[in-house]
Amino acid sequence: MAPSRGSAAYKKKDGTLAVSKDGQSVSWTPVAPPRSEPALTLPVSNITNLQQTPATNSKVMLKIFAQASGTSTSETHTFTFTSPTTARAEADTIRDALSKTIQIIKSGGAPPAASGGAGGSSAAMAIASAVSSNPRAGADSRAWYDDEKLKKDVELQQSILKSNPSLSKTFMESLRTKPESISSSQFTAQFWSTRVHLLRAHAIEKNQTRGAYNVLSSIKPMTVDNATRLSISKEQIQLIFNQHSLVKRVYDENVPKLSEEAFWSRFFQSRLFKKLKGERITEADPTDNVLDKYLQYDDDAERAKQLMASHVPHIIDVEGNEQNHSQRKGNQPDLTMRPSSYDRVPIIRTLNSLSEKILSHVAPNDIDPSLPIGVDEETFNELALRDLQGDAAENRVILNIKDQSRFFNSDKGSGVSADALLYAKQDPVKVLRSILSDLARVSSNTNLDTAIGVDDDSDSDYDDESNLKKGHVGSKASLSGATAQMLSAVAQQRAQSDDLSASSSGFSTVQSSSTSGLSAAIFDRLSLTHATTTEFLQHFWSAFLSGDPNRADEIGKLFETLNRAMDRIKAVATDAEAERQKEIEKLKKQVQDLFERTGKRRRMDYESTPGGAKAVDQLLAPTVKAIEVATKQYKKALAQQSEENG
Amino acid sequence: MNAVDGSDHYNKTSDEPPPSLLTIILDTNAHAWALLAPTLPLSAAIANLLVFINAHLAFNNSNKVAIIASHTQRAEFLYPIPSEDDSRQANGSTHNGAQNGLDGDMNMTDGNEANYAATADDANHYRPFRHIQTTLLSAMSKLYKTTSPESLTPTTSIAGALTLALTYINKQSIAFSTTTSSKTNADPLLAPSDPNSIQPATLNPRILILSVSGDLAHQYIPIMNTIFACQRLTIPIDICKIAGDSVFLQQASDATHGTYIALTHPRGLLQYLMLGFLPDQSSRKYLVPPTAVGVDFRAACFCHRKVVDVGFVCSICLSIFCSPPEGAVCLTCGTYLQLGEYGGKPAVVAKRKKKRKKGADE
Repeated sequence: MAPSRGSAAYKKKDGTLAVSKDGQSVSWTPVAPPRSEPALTLPVSNITNLQQTPATNSKVMLKIFAQASGTSTSETHTFTFTSPTTARAEADTIRDALSKTIQIIKSGGAPPAASGGAGGSSAAMAIASAVSSNPRAGADSRAWYDDEKLKKDVELQQSILKSNPSLSKTFMESLRTKPESISSSQFTAQFWSTRVHLLRAHAIEKNQTRGAYNVLSSIKPMTVDNATRLSISKEQIQLIFNQHSLVKRVYDENVPKLSEEAFWSRFFQSRLFKKLKGERITEADPTDNVLDKYLQYDDDAERAKQLMASHVPHIIDVEGNEQNHSQRKGNQPDLTMRPSSYDRVPIIRTLNSLSEKILSHVAPNDIDPSLPIGVDEETFNELALRDLQGDAAENRVILNIKDQSRFFNSDKGSGVSADALLYAKQDPVKVLRSILSDLARVSSNTNLDTAIGVDDDSDSDYDDESNLKKGHVGSKASLSGATAQMLSAVAQQRAQSDDLSASSSGFSTVQSSSTSGLSAAIFDRLSLTHATTTEFLQHFWSAFLSGDPNRADEIGKLFETLNRAMDRIKAVATDAEAERQKEIEKLKKQVQDLFERTGKRRRMDYESTPGGAKAVDQLLAPTVKAIEVATKQYKKALAQQSEENG
Repeated sequence: MNAVDGSDHYNKTSDEPPPSLLTIILDTNAHAWALLAPTLPLSAAIANLLVFINAHLAFNNSNKVAIIASHTQRAEFLYPIPSEDDSRQANGSTHNGAQNGLDGDMNMTDGNEANYAATADDANHYRPFRHIQTTLLSAMSKLYKTTSPESLTPTTSIAGALTLALTYINKQSIAFSTTTSSKTNADPLLAPSDPNSIQPATLNPRILILSVSGDLAHQYIPIMNTIFACQRLTIPIDICKIAGDSVFLQQASDATHGTYIALTHPRGLLQYLMLGFLPDQSSRKYLVPPTAVGVDFRAACFCHRKVVDVGFVCSICLSIFCSPPEGAVCLTCGTYLQLGEYGGKPAVVAKRKKKRKKGADE
């Protein structure tokens, strides 16, 4: 569609008034100096009102009321259309274009992208565009993508904390133990900056609303005090009107005569209601002189008629064949070629038509909105005249991979490992000679029994242990050492893979406890300490690596916080140890009691009581290591720079 | 239907466990073995390995074995060795080779069909065992004899050896599936490329690396590529780490669900081999692996082949750098990267920061 333009005088000067291509602004360009810049440009969003002289008036004038955003005074611009022949037509097109855009802006949506094809677009298209220009959806979807907005949305953050208890625990605990120098707002900003994805997911989740549903079937009369009562809400009435245009019509035609209450009570008992619900009407159903008139009215036929009117003539209607071809969807051939009577299986028809209606109001989420409607990709490709198209442009970013060996060769030998240094001390000639002689020895001795050095009869179990250096390959000591290492690895592996023991292999009888023998309370504290420590580590690194000199103070404080986190870990360990000691005491007492009662002494291995500081240390070892690395890095940087500053 | 005419008798698949192919990669880095000699001489290691191989072969009649040397600058088959005739043929004319053998490759003599003329028989020694022993030992001495002292480097060509192992496994799987399932007319080339359609009666391959040297960082990319190939083909890589340190081998076993054991008692090598590495894939389903629990997942940077704790990854080609590349342009793909706040080295940044702070104090 060509941009609307027309020759018009503004402040008694001749010029051209034009609406920009995107329809977002209107500008006036004077004729006098040719190719001059527009003297006046008004964004359409600023326009508050439009006025035009009536069609009967010979003078064609357009008055635009504009109010710049943020100001309260509005300006008026009057354009007089000067074209001797088409002044009225030009003014009309400009006015129409403007008012269209203004309306869209006021409703909050973006202007429809493809307004050019509006004339031929189908009903489905109209629905789709109506859905996409839904003001709510438009405004909110933009909010989801804006990280800054998400970070600032306190309400949203509160709501996510409420819905996620473990996150809220971490948040509160970190907030409590944060260094004083960091203000709450700073801390909160930092906390959420690493969790934008959670915020976004929550925002989207919150914005999901329930769609339309089958209202009529959800309305059920209740019997209270022997009287049938029925309560329907305003929203339900709204939905009924939306879904059943017939009811809306009946309501329109009858309500002034009937009272609102009477109408609904009669409606819900009527045959019409049953018909709309898809139930079979029986003789026993009460009749209603007003509502029964509408029973014969065919909702479907009406709808089809409406659709067809705006639709395509049958002779070129390709889709019509699709609808009339019942085998295509696996049904029986349509022998009669007549619409089957409504009474046969009313429920199926009703449900089908209702579902169709409901779905037509829902924006499909699995369809690319840019695709042509009603034509799938395959059909479209088939219809396209490929011969007339040029080669499609490659829509790819080419990745140029350079030969990496270049980098490796360039500085070979720079990273020399400890092994390589040891190797360098050896004389390669001697090395080769010794290996060859070694190999010659094994080649000459073909008896593997002796070569592996395992002696079954050897009873030197512990002799070899003492002088391990002299021990030979395959000695008892080394073999049992190897066995011990393997078995401990197996045990560790087993302890770590709880899920494995739970699933396929049916060999496990003991469920290894996931809390490593700690009580639930201690374990909770431990996981909380871990979470907050991780949080502070994150803050530390983001400040430490930011390169922002203004945050130096903050880093210092965070460093102290990390030290305190270390103390907290120690505290947890101490408490766990105390708990373990208590447990041991209890066991000792049991043994003592047993001894006093029966005189039998039971031997107990108190060392193997699980839990305690050891378990805590083991579980938090990585965290402690991470803190150590962070503090070391910090101290190093601090020392380095103090030195440089003298 | 089949039950009625009794033809199911012919369709019955054997209940025997599938044969497994054990591919051993022996790190033959001379320097490393010379260092190890006081604790575990190469000869003893080979003897232990031979016992282990014999055990593997004794498990199942159709079990197979291959041994590849990962030498300092090349990788070579130690067993089965390419026979003289075929290698000459293959070198002379490829057409000749194509008529011979399966697909024009060199024909590897395996214990089952080899001629034993060369090996002296020993009445007390099971013939296939003895064949392997003599072949392996002669190949080893030949390998070291042809090694010049100048060519000794501190590293070993694990990547090359892994590639050889994969080709051998591929060849054997194809040969195996054509001999067993020729009736079904399945395309043998499809079998190894699709891990999901593994039929019950396929070869069970696995790779065992006896590693004695570290310094693999500059082979990082080829090693990772072979690891991913193994992962896709569901071939476990077992690592028996006798000496040296290499983070990538641990990742290899982790990614392919293999077993990683760093020996604390190298003299008990035989025990480790028998206890940890003997079970094949089908029996491992029922066992808890004795693999080490923690895995070092660090990577080597592409720019200085250093193993890095904190690295910078190109968002386009996933190259890893130890520090942000110069001018924020990825060295591999040349993409301009937006670095955000993480510009510069951390320590330097902190230092500059402190400087300002101190300056303000003074």
